[in-house]
Amino acid sequence: MKTRKLALILLFVVLALIVTGCWNRREMNDLAIAIAIGIDKSGKQFRLSAQVVDPGEVAAKKGGGTRTPVTMYQATGNTIFEALRKMTTVAPRKIYMSHVRMLSIQEDVAKEGIGKVLDFMSRDHEVRTDFFIVIAKDTSAANTLKILTHLESIPANQMFSSLQTSEQAWAPAVTVTLDKLIADIVSEGKHPVVTGLRIRGEQKIGESKRNVEEIASPAQLQYSGLAVFNNDKLIGWLNEEQSKGYNYIIDKVKSTVGVVACPNGGKASIEVVRSKTEVKGKLMNGKPRMDVNVRIEANVGEVECSMDLTKTKTISELENSTEKRAQSIIKMTIEKVQEKYKVDIFGFGEAISRYHPKYWKKVKGEWDRIFVDLPVHVNVDVKIRRLGTVGNSFLEEMKKKE
Amino acid sequence: MAQQIGTNLQENLRSLKEAVGNSNDIIFREFRTGDGDGINAAMLYTDGLVDKNSVQDFIMETLLIDVRNIDMTKKNIADILTVGDMQQLKDFDMLFTRLFSGAAILLLDGYEQGFSIGMSGIKDRGVTESSGEAVIRGPKEAFSESILTNTALIRRKIKDPNLWLETRQIGRVTKTDVSIMYINGIANDKIVEEVRKRIERIDIDGILESGYIEELIQDETYSPFPTVYNSERPDTIAAELLEGKIAIIVDGTPHVLIVPALFISFMQSPEDYSQRADISSLIRILRFLGIFIALLGPSLYIAITTFHQEMIPTQLLISLAAQREGIPFPAFIEALMMEITFEILREAGIRMPRAIGQAISIVGTLVIGQAAVEAGIVSASMVIIVSITAISSFVIPSMNMTISFRMVRFLLMGLAASFGLFGISVGIVALVLHLCSLRSFGVPYMSPLSPFILTDQRDTLFRLPHWAMYSRPRLISQKNVIRAKNQPPKPKPKNSERKGKAR
Repeated sequence: MKTRKLALILLFVVLALIVTGCWNRREMNDLAIAIAIGIDKSGKQFRLSAQVVDPGEVAAKKGGGTRTPVTMYQATGNTIFEALRKMTTVAPRKIYMSHVRMLSIQEDVAKEGIGKVLDFMSRDHEVRTDFFIVIAKDTSAANTLKILTHLESIPANQMFSSLQTSEQAWAPAVTVTLDKLIADIVSEGKHPVVTGLRIRGEQKIGESKRNVEEIASPAQLQYSGLAVFNNDKLIGWLNEEQSKGYNYIIDKVKSTVGVVACPNGGKASIEVVRSKTEVKGKLMNGKPRMDVNVRIEANVGEVECSMDLTKTKTISELENSTEKRAQSIIKMTIEKVQEKYKVDIFGFGEAISRYHPKYWKKVKGEWDRIFVDLPVHVNVDVKIRRLGTVGNSFLEEMKKKE
Repeated sequence: MAQQIGTNLQENLRSLKEAVGNSNDIIFREFRTGDGDGINAAMLYTDGLVDKNSVQDFIMETLLIDVRNIDMTKKNIADILTVGDMQQLKDFDMLFTRLFSGAAILLLDGYEQGFSIGMSGIKDRGVTESSGEAVIRGPKEAFSESILTNTALIRRKIKDPNLWLETRQIGRVTKTDVSIMYINGIANDKIVEEVRKRIERIDIDGILESGYIEELIQDETYSPFPTVYNSERPDTIAAELLEGKIAIIVDGTPHVLIVPALFISFMQSPEDYSQRADISSLIRILRFLGIFIALLGPSLYIAITTFHQEMIPTQLLISLAAQREGIPFPAFIEALMMEITFEILREAGIRMPRAIGQAISIVGTLVIGQAAVEAGIVSASMVIIVSITAISSFVIPSMNMTISFRMVRFLLMGLAASFGLFGISVGIVALVLHLCSLRSFGVPYMSPLSPFILTDQRDTLFRLPHWAMYSRPRLISQKNVIRAKNQPPKPKPKNSERKGKAR
């Protein structure tokens, strides 16, 4: 009995050794780690570009520096999946999609609808859903993947962390992941927006090593504006200020800087350190109305005018003008979207459905029509907490001396 | 039936000489003793095993000089000799056992029995510092090869008449002394009876080390895990006896066995009880972390890097992938090569003469540490994994448990290489099932974790202060569970406060 048991165990051990290499076992040096994917149109087909890491070059301890840290493979196909597999005709290894950080989609593709593109990305088991999606503005998606970058030697990492930091510290950019984008597309009370990515400078130099050999790179990647979608189709862009207004409404502002006019002329910068937005849907005489309450905590970041900050009156004046400024940005954003794009990107519909589900059931089919004339009441409350490390600006004393 | 000692001295001596084949280390000294012509007598002892000076001073002198005026036929020999340890011998078997245990044998003409006189002068290595189980704080002494030294070392720690010792000779040829030691009233009688039965069942020609006994009495042979604990430290043995366990002491080895052995005992170091409770608890947790790494280090690395690359953070994946560029072997083969190299180095380190140790270790470190990486045969990360695994395995205080884990590690590596994390999970489930199915002398091996016993947790993963550990392990000492009724120490009120109250 004992020997039979032992023989059985031995058999399993031997089998385990023999079947090594089956299933989906792959060594790390058999992987082409795709770090960014670009999708363009090529006639009626898709052109897929994959930015693939050259690990030997990125993590080289000595030598190195002769090749670029990433390489790019391209293939054209009727569908994304077909193009991806076709890529093996040029790439030595199978493209490994788990570590994709960025998905760049050409504006023209987005205008026709990004739904087709996203299905593959959400279906494939290898792809994670934590990468950011951006729209390549005024250029092709392939071009955005070709720019070499400083600091982060892998361009996709540069794009990823740049988008993350600018969302946190500057506001007019949003990080959109696959899950969120698909949820917004299918939602009845909200339309998606995606951050735009453009190339500043000369594309040709940006593609060569020369780009990182100069202190000021001749070509740089820059996020600018938000693309407004009607379901999955791109219909237009928000500029920087509108993007900020959008972020205020969807409560995505973590920290940003606002410039306000001083009471006696001149300018001051207010650093927003905390912002909380509540969107409430109301029904007045059977008509919907939105309340947007924004509470902002801010610090005085910069004073370029004469102002006595030691007085509470000055502070409250400053608070007032900040409130007005924020309010006008938000209002202007809403008006622009209502007038020009006529789609609810703010999720007002979702807010109504939360507060008045019965009413929502009646109107959800024609919500975008109602949205155009939707009265929105914006209320901003600013509290200035700190003045920085000095009280009054030394500019004040300089003036007294004169 | 053993041959009896007869009344005829010459006949007895003849058969004795015949039996030992004229071995010249057995000394036969014939003489006459008593008044007048006296009677014929013979003195036997093994050269080297007895203390010759004592034989000279207390036996020969007495019998040859002092008893010249005494009629030996009328006087009891026990009243004449000035020695403490003296036994009557009836048969030859007993005679030989005593003779080779270092006793001097006195045979007298006309007597139906012989006398064995304890004059043992066996050269002992002496009580030295423990080499295998070193501690920083705590007693340093370790057992030696002589069973009497060893029992004395334990007696010195437990001064109680209830510390009982049962000795029997085992081994058809070697007739080795094997003793069972336990504290009557604390040890579980059923377990003592079971140990007795298993030891009596042993039929073997020779016992040279306690490992022989261990293999002959253990519950499960086909298991990588030891179900008998051993130690060469008297304080460890004393502590285990106090918990109600039973020690088996074998003559000729410093390693004393303890049964029943629990898995958790192998994780406990005697120093845990000398250090402060918080320190020992943290160190114990560190040890469990060490086991985790020693068991799973290479297999997790293999599984994650060859099956589940999506689980590695991107930056780490890139740098790992960069190291693997140009490595010709799959990760599993790479790990196996490194692990086997390390095992060879470890084994060589134990066996080789100390003088060439340095040379080997330099070659070893250079070969596995640097040259292999620079030559592009193994990746640097694999060297890190293998070395951290190797070091972690040595935090387990008990050497035989270390080896068990190292064996299981290779199985898990195979599973990881063929099935990834699924393989590892299946392997761990199987391992836990196996561990839980083990028993040591009727006590579940994994207790008090499985079955879970709350009160015994005081000395399992954590080591609570001594005043909190007031009970013995439930499944071992069943009738006498309470150790003491100690209370947490209460500091005296400060001087100033006391004065205040007095007024």
